[in-house]
Amino acid sequence: MTHLTMDQLLACREPQSEPGTAAARAHLSACAVCTQELERLEQRVARLRALPPLQPARDQWPAVRARIVTSRRRRLVQRSAWGSLVAAAGIALVVLVKSGPLAVRVDAAPKQVASVDVEDLVMMKTRSQVLEAALESYNPQVRVLDGRTAVLADALQDRIATLDQQLQAAQLEGPDRGLPARDARLLQLWEERVGLLDALVDVRVTRASNIGL
Amino acid sequence: MTRTLAMDLYALPNADSVVARAQAGDATAFEALYRAYERPVYALARRICRTTEDAEDVMQETFFEVCRSIGQYRASGPLWGWVRRIAASKALMRLRREKYRETDELQDDVLPMRRDDVALRMDLEAAFERLTETARAVVWLHDVEGFTHEEIAGMMGKTPSFSKSQLSRAHQRLRLWLGEEAMA
Repeated sequence: MTHLTMDQLLACREPQSEPGTAAARAHLSACAVCTQELERLEQRVARLRALPPLQPARDQWPAVRARIVTSRRRRLVQRSAWGSLVAAAGIALVVLVKSGPLAVRVDAAPKQVASVDVEDLVMMKTRSQVLEAALESYNPQVRVLDGRTAVLADALQDRIATLDQQLQAAQLEGPDRGLPARDARLLQLWEERVGLLDALVDVRVTRASNIGL
Repeated sequence: MTRTLAMDLYALPNADSVVARAQAGDATAFEALYRAYERPVYALARRICRTTEDAEDVMQETFFEVCRSIGQYRASGPLWGWVRRIAASKALMRLRREKYRETDELQDDVLPMRRDDVALRMDLEAAFERLTETARAVVWLHDVEGFTHEEIAGMMGKTPSFSKSQLSRAHQRLRLWLGEEAMA
């Protein structure tokens, strides 16, 4: 007499009947060996369900909360950045339409005054982009941080977001304050931004090496 | 049948209110969701993942996803079912990312030598731990969490036949390792 295979026994436990299951069930009703085997299978499953519950060793909520807050802030900053960009474009358009010749005169002047700082500014912007790319490739969204590190990273991102708003405001400053002053301010803000990004990379990478990711 | 059992175990009494508050962005509601499901999510992740670190990682990813996607939750089914599906997907994604298949093959090679070794008879938890990553995931998701083969196949990117075959092989191994009598 051929007994049921494990596949057939498992199929008998499924709520939906497959082709051949009816025959297997018929065999079960007449075969003590297979009935016993099915009983063992049921017991094994019941014991699996009764395995002791596993609990996390530490509270993960602070880290989850930090990720949620960071994600929300990032979205807000992105939205406000787009908003500012649109506003800046609007202002630029109005200036161009209302006083085109003036805009040309303003453009002509700064080339000599700000030429000293332009290279520094470009260098800082490039460095900032490199660091942002490094952070992006590190993919912080899928990394695990402990609570303290997450809070630190969060604080840094917070400061970077504030700095970005100051940068946007500084970029919109007109010639009334003087272009050299504006460029000096921009350079100072970009330097601060690079410093904060540096720190953020440090925090994330150090944490990653600690947990062996 | 098994699904109903698992759902009832982790029912959140005031789920509707908590979900509504979470959908409105209430941080205390997010924490309430976390507190309600942290244990079953961790248990699921830990049974599937190899290490506690991986399980904690999956747990964080699960709750981050739950809080981020709560707006998409429609109360058409139990809340735990929705959370559990996210947790299972994250755990399986972690398995794929870690490429555990190498260890799967190694364990397959070792298996026949241990067939009659009475000393290796072990308790169910140890035997379960010894299963391959994929087999363990299928057994846990099907037999304990109550997912269907179709659902498991969908999450794994495989066919239902693959899931059935993994479950069958896993039970044959468990039976052998637990020292149960050979089938006649």
